[in-house]
Amino acid sequence: MTAPLVEVEDLSVAFDLPDGRIEAVRGVSFTLGRERLGIVGESGSGKSQTGRALLGLTARNGTVSAKRLAFDGIDLLRASERERRALRGSRMTMVMQDPRYSLNPVMTVEQQIVEAYRAHRRASRAEARGAALAMLQSVRIDQPERVMALYPHELSGGMGQRVMIAMMLITDPELLVADEPTSALDVTVRGEVLRILDALVAERGMGLILISHDLELVASFCDRVLVMYAGRIVEELRADALHDAKHPYTRGLIGCLPRLDRDSHPLPVLDRDPAWAL
Amino acid sequence: MAEPLLTIDDLRVTFGLGRLHVAAVEGVSLRLGEGESLGLVGESGSGKSTVLRAITGLAPVAGGTIRLAGEPVRLPRGMDFYRTVQMVFQDPFASLHPRHTVDQILAEPLAIHRVADAEARIVAALAEVGLGPSYRFRYPHQLSGGQRQRVAIARALVLRPRLVLLDEPTSALDASVQAEILNLLETLRREFGLSYLLVSHDLAVVAHLCERLVVMRRGRVVEETTAEALRRGTVGEAYTRAMLTASKGFSREAGTGTG
Repeated sequence: MTAPLVEVEDLSVAFDLPDGRIEAVRGVSFTLGRERLGIVGESGSGKSQTGRALLGLTARNGTVSAKRLAFDGIDLLRASERERRALRGSRMTMVMQDPRYSLNPVMTVEQQIVEAYRAHRRASRAEARGAALAMLQSVRIDQPERVMALYPHELSGGMGQRVMIAMMLITDPELLVADEPTSALDVTVRGEVLRILDALVAERGMGLILISHDLELVASFCDRVLVMYAGRIVEELRADALHDAKHPYTRGLIGCLPRLDRDSHPLPVLDRDPAWAL
Repeated sequence: MAEPLLTIDDLRVTFGLGRLHVAAVEGVSLRLGEGESLGLVGESGSGKSTVLRAITGLAPVAGGTIRLAGEPVRLPRGMDFYRTVQMVFQDPFASLHPRHTVDQILAEPLAIHRVADAEARIVAALAEVGLGPSYRFRYPHQLSGGQRQRVAIARALVLRPRLVLLDEPTSALDASVQAEILNLLETLRREFGLSYLLVSHDLAVVAHLCERLVVMRRGRVVEETTAEALRRGTVGEAYTRAMLTASKGFSREAGTGTG
């Protein structure tokens, strides 16, 4: 058996703030192969910080520590900033929540995608442009020629997110971390974007980490789900066994959503047991 | 039959001139009875929030009429209007003054409307939304998202309105906090006989809180239906059905188009 794509053992991320130390991630361990892994939790659960630590995008006032943090056998904790930068954007990439903030507002779509490509590949401008066009087609953008000339403010949310995905996948990465990739999108657009992501991941045999607050969505998309609470993984589930969840937090999360197929008044609310956060 | 609390006929809202002209709302009509809850559903850009803003006078009305208990609303809206109609906004991080304490936030509408015994009203308003008296002198940054939304609801209710306009009141909140706020809104409605006009993109939230709903798309009403029909899945319009399918989560089968 080959080594897993990502190995995380006992990962902790802490931030030193003026009013004390915040431990955002506390002892998280998991491995990822070429599969779809979901990380679910509410705000402040440490799910995004886990993804950021993996890419080396933790803010400057944060400290990352782990027994092991490896990508394809490369020890990320020992890697220099230069080596991390060579990996990031080329072999491991990240799609963020809102295309309005994560695309450069003063560059056209073409400039941004070409820049991303040429930062990691020796390619002429024309080659890069050809690759960008092909990539925009594979995220199902009609008239890619026209879209290439547009600025981010001229794109709708769903288009912006597809451009973002195109830019992140153009270097053919092995790992994609998608942090709430569809939360800023309308429900009908959300399905389309997820299907594109799903097809690309399957086609290219990538590893995907989907970070989201939406348990149902993650379960319908991923193979495995990690549920995080207060910086820890409280439960790991097979996505199709979501309703066998044992941890009261996971069960509470499933139960507290209003549903169309069940009318319950009042909604069950989550009783947070302080022991979960220990 | 008595006049509905809120009657909107052929409402039109436009922004910009010439090349930048946008018709955000094009001929929307709806009725909301006393004590009733109506949902306004649609995707971004459908004009649902603009309808709410037009009711409160925050968006320019280009045509049509808005009547409150049979009386056409005046421009600018009078004091009596705001005593009857109040609004809760989407983002509790943006809608509360960051340098006002909860006490100041709740005292302001009372002062504007010259309500006697503000002191008792503030204490009562906090209790109604489930916040203890210890929250009274805190600043918004010392509160969680759910607590802030409770303050925003308390501010809306402190004048004892009859109609509350809710603009995505839970979409900035975590799922477990959303459940608490939805339960609170239901309790308050029962207790004070309130009418809600709820704007949301989440069909399940709307079906939970409202009996009837209006589906909007590109500034127009595409369908008027009931929460009951939504639950049974018997909706007429293809667009509503597409939203309904999409809201059930991701499926690998190729797309149901947006119609």
